[in-house]
Amino acid sequence: MRNDLIAVARSLVLLAGLAWVGIAAAQSPALNPQQAEQAKQQVMQQRVQPLNNQPVWSAVRSGEPQITGVRGRETNVLIQPEGQTWRAARVPLAAVGGFLFALTLVAIAVFYVWRGPISLKSPPTGRMIERFTLVERAVHWGVAITFVTLALTGLVVTFGKAVLLPLIGYTLFSWLATLSKWLHNFVGLVLVVLLPIMIVMFLRTNLFRAYDWTWLKKAGGMFSRTHVPAGKANAGQKLLFWLMVVASGITLCVTGLILDFPNFDQTRQTMQITNIVHMVAAMVGTILVAGHIYLGTIGMRGALDAMRTGYVDETWAKEHHEYWYNEVKSGKSAGEGAVPLAAQHRTV
Amino acid sequence: MARMKFLCDAERCIECNGCVTACKQENDVPWGVNRRRVVTINDGVPGERSISVACMHCSDAPCMAVCPVDCFYHSGEGLVLHDKDLCIGCGYCFYACPFGAPQFPQAGAFGVRGKMDKCTFCAGGPEVDNSEAEFKKYGRNRLAEGKLPACAEMCSTKALLAGDGNTIADIFRQRATVRGKGSEVWGWVTAYGRPEAPKSGPGGSSPAPAAPAQGGKS
Repeated sequence: MRNDLIAVARSLVLLAGLAWVGIAAAQSPALNPQQAEQAKQQVMQQRVQPLNNQPVWSAVRSGEPQITGVRGRETNVLIQPEGQTWRAARVPLAAVGGFLFALTLVAIAVFYVWRGPISLKSPPTGRMIERFTLVERAVHWGVAITFVTLALTGLVVTFGKAVLLPLIGYTLFSWLATLSKWLHNFVGLVLVVLLPIMIVMFLRTNLFRAYDWTWLKKAGGMFSRTHVPAGKANAGQKLLFWLMVVASGITLCVTGLILDFPNFDQTRQTMQITNIVHMVAAMVGTILVAGHIYLGTIGMRGALDAMRTGYVDETWAKEHHEYWYNEVKSGKSAGEGAVPLAAQHRTV
Repeated sequence: MARMKFLCDAERCIECNGCVTACKQENDVPWGVNRRRVVTINDGVPGERSISVACMHCSDAPCMAVCPVDCFYHSGEGLVLHDKDLCIGCGYCFYACPFGAPQFPQAGAFGVRGKMDKCTFCAGGPEVDNSEAEFKKYGRNRLAEGKLPACAEMCSTKALLAGDGNTIADIFRQRATVRGKGSEVWGWVTAYGRPEAPKSGPGGSSPAPAAPAQGGKS
């Protein structure tokens, strides 16, 4: 009986010993060749060049995560060198973007003086055609107001330091910039909701047709003052839709969401890259919007009424969107709200 | 005027985080923000080194270059300070800084950024020195009291040096010349005297009387 107990105790001790050896072996560098190699190199380094910390200082600059007792996002990164790249990219990009935007405004002004508003060649008939439904107009104005707010506030934050700060001083500009930041961060979310609706709503109208190529080659007759027929949207408007609304708009929404919520532990590098993409997309979008706003308001008579009331005169439709006019007249485009005489029930 | 700088001697830092705690206590730093942190490289392997890092008060400061409201300024001592009244909390300084110094209290909804907070070299901000308003926004203004930053004063191994750039560079240079030869250690000269024969090799000819050996602050 006693012998049995001793045997059991012995085997237990043996088992514990084996377990200890197993645990020790698992932690041994010999089983992890890469770590073992690194440790060996470190040991050699300490022996051959005891005070040469070159490897340490290389690691400092690498931007790799290290060990730290301080909690928080990326607190274990000693030096994050990509910030310099971001700064080096952002400053000239902003300068170029600002210059191009200013140039766009000048170009629009010159064009307005030279060409004046595009007006109708024939007298209006008084018969109205529905061009945009109430829902379409509501979505358009929603996007328009949010986008313009975002563009203006974005411009304040990006160029205010160079343009407004010397004029209005530090305190006032800081208030304006704070307001801009809050508006930008919150109004942006509205655009994220509205923009996909707008894209779906106007997608069919903006699919390219064969005749768009002719329109593009003649630049819509904007400079030659010739008549070029177009569909409900002309090729310029279609290009604008795909570049401004789809490409620039979606890019802005996606990057904007990444930048708007810094609480999801996205790294600084993610936000640096995102910020650059956001800025480039914003400059493209803002420049195109400037042209769109010009042609939609003072640049072309009757265009604003189309989006304000939803109705256009038959002459306007014929002169600017002849194929669409023909479709409406032949009844093919009834789905798009062709009610030629309906307009007479309402006051313009 | 003196150009204030930080210098962390990686040969001395023992990763005690005393500087982090000292800073937090001295400046009443907001929740979630640590103006200073200690990072360890090669943790657990030969050649392990720790470095304490905070705002380095750069000459060509990236934060200053990218700030959209120009809230940063260089103080007379070359420190990079900022005006929290102007800060809009956009985060650009945080993107640009290589040292991860600018941080934002994220108490608001969806992690929205508050006013940026960072190391001030214990020099406060644009408010009147040692005023209530200055303390609330930036913490203690020790420099105005004729003291050096709390982190460096607290450092138990004198790894973290803060002060005039030339002075702390001299201290570091002196350490480097005697490093690895034993005489840098506290009490060594008192107990065993200075090395007798000058050794050959760089720096060996002048075993500098290291200031720390006298038990004073370095």
